[in-house]
Amino acid sequence: MTGYVARRVVSLVPVLLAAATLVWLLLFALPGDPARLIAGGQSVDPRVLDSIRTEWGLDQPAALQYARYLGKLLRFDFGTSYIQRRPVISIIRDHFPATLILALTAIAISSCGGLFLGALAAFYRGRAIDHLVLLLALLGTSTPVFWLGLMLMLVFASQLQWLPVLGYGSNGPIVPLLGRLPEWDHLILPAVTLSLISLGATARLTRAGLLDQGDAAFLRTARAKGSSALRAFVRHGLRNALIPVVTVIGLDFASMLGGAVATEYVFAWPGLGKTIVRAIALKDLPVVEGCVLFLTVIFVLVNLAVDLLYVWIDPRIQYGRGPV
Amino acid sequence: MHAVSFRSAATPPASTSRRGALRLPALLILLAAGVLAPAGIACRDDRAPAGSAADEQVFRFRLREDPPTLDPAMTSDNLSEAITANVFRGLVQLDPETLTIVPAVAAAWEISPDHLTYTFTLRDDVIFHNGRRLTADDVVYSFTRLLDPAVNSPRRFVLEPIDGAGPFAEGTSSSVTGLTSPDPHTIRIRLARPYAPFLGLLSMVNAAILPREVYDDPQRGYQRSPVGCGPFLVSRWEQSNLIELRAFDRFYGGRPTIDRIEARIIENLVSALQEYRAGGLDSLDQPPAEDDALYEELKPEIRRYPYIATGYFGFNLAIPPFKGNPALRKAINYAVDKKYLWEILMPGGNIPAHGIIPPGIAGYDPNLPGYPVDLGRARSLLAEAGYPGGRGLAPFTLWSNTSEDNRRIALQIQSDLKRIGVQVTLREADWAAYIPAVEGTAEKPGQAQMFRFGWNLDYPDADAILRPLLYSSNIGPAGNSIRYHNPQVDRLLDEALIATDPQKRAALYREAERIAVMDDAVFLFLNYYESWTLFKPWVKGIVLTPLGEFRIPLERLRIDRSGS
Repeated sequence: MTGYVARRVVSLVPVLLAAATLVWLLLFALPGDPARLIAGGQSVDPRVLDSIRTEWGLDQPAALQYARYLGKLLRFDFGTSYIQRRPVISIIRDHFPATLILALTAIAISSCGGLFLGALAAFYRGRAIDHLVLLLALLGTSTPVFWLGLMLMLVFASQLQWLPVLGYGSNGPIVPLLGRLPEWDHLILPAVTLSLISLGATARLTRAGLLDQGDAAFLRTARAKGSSALRAFVRHGLRNALIPVVTVIGLDFASMLGGAVATEYVFAWPGLGKTIVRAIALKDLPVVEGCVLFLTVIFVLVNLAVDLLYVWIDPRIQYGRGPV
Repeated sequence: MHAVSFRSAATPPASTSRRGALRLPALLILLAAGVLAPAGIACRDDRAPAGSAADEQVFRFRLREDPPTLDPAMTSDNLSEAITANVFRGLVQLDPETLTIVPAVAAAWEISPDHLTYTFTLRDDVIFHNGRRLTADDVVYSFTRLLDPAVNSPRRFVLEPIDGAGPFAEGTSSSVTGLTSPDPHTIRIRLARPYAPFLGLLSMVNAAILPREVYDDPQRGYQRSPVGCGPFLVSRWEQSNLIELRAFDRFYGGRPTIDRIEARIIENLVSALQEYRAGGLDSLDQPPAEDDALYEELKPEIRRYPYIATGYFGFNLAIPPFKGNPALRKAINYAVDKKYLWEILMPGGNIPAHGIIPPGIAGYDPNLPGYPVDLGRARSLLAEAGYPGGRGLAPFTLWSNTSEDNRRIALQIQSDLKRIGVQVTLREADWAAYIPAVEGTAEKPGQAQMFRFGWNLDYPDADAILRPLLYSSNIGPAGNSIRYHNPQVDRLLDEALIATDPQKRAALYREAERIAVMDDAVFLFLNYYESWTLFKPWVKGIVLTPLGEFRIPLERLRIDRSGS
């Protein structure tokens, strides 16, 4: 098992290398002159442009720029942002906690809610509540996040005035490692918005997985032993149904970490998604590279965690020993 | 799939299981209600901002994005200005109402009869935010830093008129010879040549006075924690969330009434409008569009005021079809109906322009004819240009920077030009791709044949707009994107720069503008800008300055909720 984990971690290296190269190539190919964007403003002296190019090494041949970049990466130097002129690491440190907190909250809502609703729908299959859950799931997966966020904002913040309109809040507590936390009421709308797609998918998968358990032997046994139908259903049926659900939850969480851009945009959430989009628009290559690599690592680790979770859910699954 | 209803198999009594099953959802609903109800009771109250004491004066406005930097040597955009204009001070500043030069760190100054030497007497009560008193040494340090090749400032042109600045900036000399401080309260600046708007340059934030001990930091801590001598200091900057400023008790001009300022970073306008409505913002830099449902509701809170900036479409004079063909350029000017564009199609925010120098700037000529719409003249000029009825003229590209407004303008122009038979292909690009297509390099023109651009004046002098846009040595990224080269205009601008009589200068600029507009038709002259800003009724002391909404002096504001 440890061998398996070790191999998975080591496999990060080629993945990261491929990601770094791909991003570098794409950004290099995009039109736009980073030196001009670094200088900013409505006009700039061409001599200043030249000196900026020299300062940042932008006047060197492409292959050399790429090689220098890889060299820095190998030394764990993520470089300095062209636009903000500060280390990319501190930019990630500034923005990732906000995205992490939002994603954790959203995935908690979507997985608990999805599991619960899916179980409910399966248990009451064919009844009104089943249809209701399926409808909610459909709406969740097909509603554009952007629109949904704005609708929730209009109803709960503008009209009813129950919740703040947007933002992170400026008075949240400061904790070590994560920095300033959001004010809890500011977290609700963005987290709910972000959770709804995943909630729909989770609910449907849970429902389907549970219905597949239908008349499995263990359920008959469980019921024979006297457990109530629901408890048997949950304790035994759910565990078996969980494998595909956990997969999706893992994928959704990883994608929330990197791609909550629409939610962050609507709610002015100071997360990483907006930072990356902004950096692409400004051709701030070090920031884009740094964030993509960082998210790649997160993604691979989340997937690894999900794979390890399988073992706990279904002890029949084993790693590192060939096919069972 | 086996469709099994669990209740059909042998089960305990149905009632028990159903009740048990429903307990959970009921619990959850109660839980949700329990969470939201207190939030509902503690309703949004737009009277006092969250987290403030009852009588604390807080002003909250919106910035679209984080400023890229708060280092005065590096700032060149108006996002930074919103903060730096309140945190820093230079030798002089612009009065936001009259646009005249008034004292700041310098209490008084004398200009020598030959207009080459400026002697400034500094105030003795200027304190930096870190508690230290300001001396002439700090002025020498700050100006030298702006010109320092190691700092590589894109704004070093601001101090380049100083004698010795050039060699120092190039690294061939170790100090700026024209910059001296005979004693700790005096600064003497000698220019290489007379430069009439020199004090205007000194009013720019790039010429702010900085404390050496902070700005020499090799770790660059000052980028996140700037230190100046202005009315407000930066107390925190939480990236993409907010920048908080606090009143500086020992500001030489007296402690501001506003205790605290929050510059909240909100990119999405729709969300920002909702936040403004809910009372989370006291001011918003972008009002809703006229066809937006919110417009009627927020109209009473919109303030309109002039902005010293001009908008136009540039003609690329280095490539066909506009190269060497003034008749074609004039034809296009006559064909476009600017009044329709700004008064009917997109009312509010802009005034039709007949030239380049905006109103309020010496040299502005209200009698300059410009090109009011005249299809007859447009058609005859088009024929004169060699394209009767538009025949023989290949469609050319009209570029604009991606935005809703720019798209509407471009479409309207395309349709106006079609009336005289001129075909236009529209191109849109985001800023990063737009700039190279428009500016090109100092040596090579960009590919855009006609392109949307605007220019806002850094200081209220005609030189601040005509020189970058029209002077031949500024061809390329330095500002002259149309690549205009008219020796007569160059000469007039040079004469006006060193002239000292304001009347004479205004006359020279009027003449230069007349040539560029009426003889050479260098642009499609489109609009003079206006600022539109939303302010809540409890914000008092607002000075609506032509310098732009981010230069409204925050130290003059006060919050008074008693009326509402």
